[in-house]
Amino acid sequence: MNVQTRRVTATTLAFSFILADPHPALAHGFGPTYDIPIPLWLYLYGAAAAVVLAFVPLALFSRKERDADAPYRYPRFDLFRVRLLRTLLTSRLLTSGLRLLSVVLFFVVVIAGLVGLQSGFNIAPTFVWVTWWVGLSFFTAFVGNVWPLVNPWRVLFDWAEGLARRFGYRDGLELDEPYPEPLGVWPAVGLYLVFVWTENVFSGSYVPRNIAFFSIAYSLLTLYGMAYFGKETWLRRGEAFSVFFGLLGRFAPTEVRVKDPSVCLGCDGCGGDAAGRCVNCYECFARAAPHERELNLRPPAVGLGLPEKVPPGGATFVVVVLAGVTFDGLLQTPLWLEIVRLTPVTQTLGVILLPSLFFGIYLGFVELSRILGGGGVGGFKRFASAYAFSLVPIAIAYQMAHYYTYLLIQGQMIISLVSDPFGWGWNLFGTAAFEPRYGIVGAGFVWYSQVALIVAGHVIAVYLAHSISLRLLRDPVRAFRSQLPMLVLMVLYTITSLWILAQPIVE
Amino acid sequence: MARSLILIAVIVLILGGLFFLLRPDTPAGVPRDRVFDVSIEGGEMSPAEISVNEGDRVTLRVSSDKPMEFHVHGYDVEREVGPGRKAELHFEADLTGRFEIEDHESEKELGVLQVRPR
Repeated sequence: MNVQTRRVTATTLAFSFILADPHPALAHGFGPTYDIPIPLWLYLYGAAAAVVLAFVPLALFSRKERDADAPYRYPRFDLFRVRLLRTLLTSRLLTSGLRLLSVVLFFVVVIAGLVGLQSGFNIAPTFVWVTWWVGLSFFTAFVGNVWPLVNPWRVLFDWAEGLARRFGYRDGLELDEPYPEPLGVWPAVGLYLVFVWTENVFSGSYVPRNIAFFSIAYSLLTLYGMAYFGKETWLRRGEAFSVFFGLLGRFAPTEVRVKDPSVCLGCDGCGGDAAGRCVNCYECFARAAPHERELNLRPPAVGLGLPEKVPPGGATFVVVVLAGVTFDGLLQTPLWLEIVRLTPVTQTLGVILLPSLFFGIYLGFVELSRILGGGGVGGFKRFASAYAFSLVPIAIAYQMAHYYTYLLIQGQMIISLVSDPFGWGWNLFGTAAFEPRYGIVGAGFVWYSQVALIVAGHVIAVYLAHSISLRLLRDPVRAFRSQLPMLVLMVLYTITSLWILAQPIVE
Repeated sequence: MARSLILIAVIVLILGGLFFLLRPDTPAGVPRDRVFDVSIEGGEMSPAEISVNEGDRVTLRVSSDKPMEFHVHGYDVEREVGPGRKAELHFEADLTGRFEIEDHESEKELGVLQVRPR
């Protein structure tokens, strides 16, 4: 094979799906599936394990009394205490370099989408859907949240503001119009739903030009939002990906923290509890003096158990994320095909219906849990907000189980694409002819790891829900009772994830 | 402490026991020779899904109503087929998973090869 055919081989991987799809109404934007459905016995085993293991956190931890400070007491190690790491991680060369790289990549994607080859070698679809969307979400959940540092819209806004100040606009670019607080993160919920639709339903989601148009439209909206309501306000409330990666970052085994709590006092972006702790507040972290900053290793998922103010729409956002990752798998099942065939439900309607269904079920079980726990301070709303974070591990586990082979195989495409981002026959880094390797992990290993991931996510979720109940009810016996409906809820979501993995794949 | 240890031991026993109870003994037997007649008409492949077990020696006898390049991903086997031009592809199914089969010229997906592990 010469380079040209090799290149076509590689690109067909990414595009065959969208080009070949004979039923555009049932298209979904992602590339091929590499996994075969898990066998029935393993599905049943996973379901049984989920039920059995659900009681373990309850049995092991229910006797411990919890005080208000308990969620904050977990082992931490400050990476900045290691001189080498401190020098490396805080060097301007690294941070500015990453920010510059992020903006360069952003423009490369947009330009590739506009002027690059449309049905062949083009970096835009692979970078956006595989490297960034799947790759960065895994990185955020399992390493740490770097989005506040590299978010290209934030960087561009910072640069523009720097320029404006230099040319005499002392007030910068922010109009700082008051943000209507009741609106909470609802703008982010709406934008995230549009994103889920683009990912799963829109048949042109793999077409480079569409990616460019969507990116430009989203950029204009985001920059406008940052200018109108203030940069940090919009990033916290309306920038769907900042909210999304922020959520995954709570699961991560790293956190940023400011030693002096007074730094966080005037900041409404932080959870800002009474004791004034300042964890994972990137806005304050950036403002704090260097010697006040900590970058801590911590046990995974503890960030989801911290008591924090949840803005209006916050719980909905979590459920939309859970339903959104599940939706991609559901679309490939025979059941969904039948639903679309026999009922007026369409793919697009599904983007709204599935999260609504998930949310309705969630609220129902939370209310049951509250009643069984003998009520509590703050009422239903407080409970519904507080428990939402406990669903995040289930979403992460499903996302990982569903996509990791996709990232491993399809992700290799980026190696050849960086050498020829526009499909113009370049070979910038000499890697243009690289062909992805298949069979990195065998299907048997994939099965076991998928079930293990989902069951592990489930156990973490049950543990979190229980520690949240201890915090809300302050009484081990009532907390124990309140957790019975929550166990059923978690088992339901987990079995749904497993069930989808066990379904024959239809496209 | 002792209570926790007993609990963990019981859980491990239950889950371990269940695993051996549910897992089939001999999932797929010994590797076999598998021959499939694959025809492509109007861009549709039948059968649309070819399912084999790991280690099987696979032969695909391919015919097509249009000239095309028949390509199996992952195994990277490829033959030109067309009217009056049948092709036979041989390979041993040593990679497990789900692999696309496509027409390499039009980049159109025709079907899938599914190789189940032993």
